[in-house]
Parts: sequence; C-alpha cells; structure tokens
Amino acid sequence: MVTDQLIFLVTAGAMVFLGLGSMSLSRNLIKTIMSFQVLVFGVNLALFASSLGGQFSLISNSLVLFSIIVGACVEAVGLAIVVAVYRKYGTLNPSEIRRLRN
Amino acid sequence: MSNEVALITSAVLLVTAVAALLSKRISISLITLFYSSITLGIIFTLYNGVLVGLLHIVTFAGAVSVLLLTAILMVGEPKLDMNASQAAVATLGAVLVVVALAAYDLLGGLPTVPGPASSYPPTALLQFVWLFRPWDLLILLMVFAASMIVVVNLFSQEEP
Repeated sequence: MVTDQLIFLVTAGAMVFLGLGSMSLSRNLIKTIMSFQVLVFGVNLALFASSLGGQFSLISNSLVLFSIIVGACVEAVGLAIVVAVYRKYGTLNPSEIRRLRN
Repeated sequence: MSNEVALITSAVLLVTAVAALLSKRISISLITLFYSSITLGIIFTLYNGVLVGLLHIVTFAGAVSVLLLTAILMVGEPKLDMNASQAAVATLGAVLVVVALAAYDLLGGLPTVPGPASSYPPTALLQFVWLFRPWDLLILLMVFAASMIVVVNLFSQEEP
C-alpha cells in the first residue's frame, strides 16, 4: 500500500541523489552550493517523513530544526568562500582555479 | 490526509529541484530553488510540522535565497554548464534506477520501531524543545555564531 510516508521517502531519496550527482558534475561553485541546498532539502524531507504516522514526531521535528540551521550555516560559509575565491582567482570553475593555483 | 496531496506536493518539489539543477541560467535556478523551498515548507506545514515549516521557509526561501542573490550579484552571472552532458544523463538515469529500486523495496512495508514515546508528556513542540532538548538549542546557537564569525572573517579579507 502506498502511503504518504513512502511517497515522501522516495522523493527525498531522489532529491539526495540529484543533489549529489549535480554536485559532482557541476563546473560552477555557485551551482555546487545550489546542489548542496537540494541535498539538504532531501535530507530534511527524509527526517520529517520518517516519523509520519509514527510516535516520534517531536524528535523528528527537533532533528529537522537542527538540520535546517546547520544547513543554512554551511551554505552561508560556502557562499562566503565562493566570493573570496572569486575575488582571488576571478573564476568560479574549480578546474580553472586549480590550474591558476598551480 | 489523502495521498493526492502528498503526490502533488512531491511532484512539484521534484520538478522545481530538477529545474533548478538543470537550468542553464543561474537566475532561473535561483527562482526555481525559491519555489522548491516554499513547497517543502508547505509540506512540513500540512503534515503537522508548522514550526519546522515556517522556519524552513524563513531560512531557505528568505535568508539563503537573499544570500545566494547577493553572491550572484557580486560575482556576476557566470556561464553554467555541466561537465559533460553524457555524464549528466547517466547520473539522471542512475538516480531514476535507484529511486525505482527504493520504491520497490519500500513497497514491502516499513518496519515499525517500538520506543518509549508514550513516556513523553503531551506538551506542545516549543515546550518540548525547551524542556528536553536545551543542549540542542545551545549547540545550534554555537553553530550559528561560529558560521557568522567565519563569514565576517572571509568577507573582511583584503584583496592582495
């Protein structure tokens, strides 16, 4: 039987894999941050869906709360690093940055 | 709640996420990512996670979107392309296969984990957080403060 929990868990899995795949294939650091955001969305949805219809909704909500704050902080730091890297190297392409550094 | 709501919201979430990742223009990516954040917040809110949903919308659709917009305005709109289109298609195919396998596996039914949830008093969520998880909030505040210090340090670096 297809339940809401199942639908959300499958969606969360798809979003996590999409985020991971896009992170590994992206040639732009801002796009990498966006892919990370999609990955965080998937993780948050999985944490939230894991307690649907169960008894652990409060713990699940606390974990999602934690994940939201940590994800937002990581993204803020990542964006600051991206801007600092762009100021220094003038590009957002990781391979170009590696070539310039060498 | 009926399955149709979950199906529709999940479909909207996936479509907006895929559009954000595959779009060539970064402004389109930003807009679709904004809609994705809103949709996920609506899902949380619809399924009795009002506080989490509102926090998600405020954080990701508000603060993080503005941060992304600021970063894009600072560096200009760069050309976006994937490393190799064939690799992107292969990854998308792998994602579809994994999702199909996961759905097939999960259709057998999820195991229910017994636990001491009945021992929790029936309090509201905020009261529960403040009563039972004070360290979580303290750690969250520490993470938030540390990240703000790092961001300020990175932005205050002078150009060589």
